[in-house]
Amino acid sequence: MDFDVIIMNDGAIMKNNKIYVFFSLHILLAVYSLSGICGKLAAAFEVLSPGFVLCYGGLLFIFGIYAICWQQIIKRLSLTVAFANKAITVVWGIIWGYLFFDEAITLKKLIGAALVMTGIVLYAKTGDDLDRDEGGVEQ
Amino acid sequence: MRFLAYASLMIFGTFVSSIAQVMLKKAAMKDYSSHFREYFNPTVIIAYIIFLGASFLGILAYKVVPLSMGAILEATSYIYVTIFGVTIFKETITKKRIIALLIILSGIVVYALG
Repeated sequence: MDFDVIIMNDGAIMKNNKIYVFFSLHILLAVYSLSGICGKLAAAFEVLSPGFVLCYGGLLFIFGIYAICWQQIIKRLSLTVAFANKAITVVWGIIWGYLFFDEAITLKKLIGAALVMTGIVLYAKTGDDLDRDEGGVEQ
Repeated sequence: MRFLAYASLMIFGTFVSSIAQVMLKKAAMKDYSSHFREYFNPTVIIAYIIFLGASFLGILAYKVVPLSMGAILEATSYIYVTIFGVTIFKETITKKRIIALLIILSGIVVYALG
């Protein structure tokens, strides 16, 4: 009976941990999407002007953080789930574009974005099939 | 026409960064004598320099391309990754994967028309 309790506790801890990692992934993807804002801001400056260097520096800083954290997340989450959720960056791009750069949101754009996201999720899911078919190991 | 040129620049930047991704994967498949070597070896360093160049191309493209379109065009990376996977890493390609890529492509076209 003691043994059962241990297993149950273990399961609960793992489940909580998964949610925590999943949440971290989405925080990371939201932060990553901010690099787009830096890039778009940098584009308005002359190359190598102070404003450009500041924005480009910000972009590279975010890339660095992203690269480090992404490695930690895919250690704890399946690559399929991680890549499928990356589709959310499309939504962030639309939100930041609308909020900061007055980019219009049209029905066609929303449909197009939904298609792209569907494609990304499907693509990531077929990676799961490939791994199973080939008995492959997740990187 | 000008828009198309800048959009192509962003697509090219995505292609270039996919090459860097392949290099990182190649590097990750090797065994290294130390953690230091795992990160500081020619392949990884060159890959990161290529990433740097690709991000610069992305910024140039943003002079004309809307921010919201950036992530959309970056989705073309799945096409390159698939091509590299088949040609370099001898991965198999499934019908589902081709369908997924076609859906991504159709989404990009619909978005561009919007």
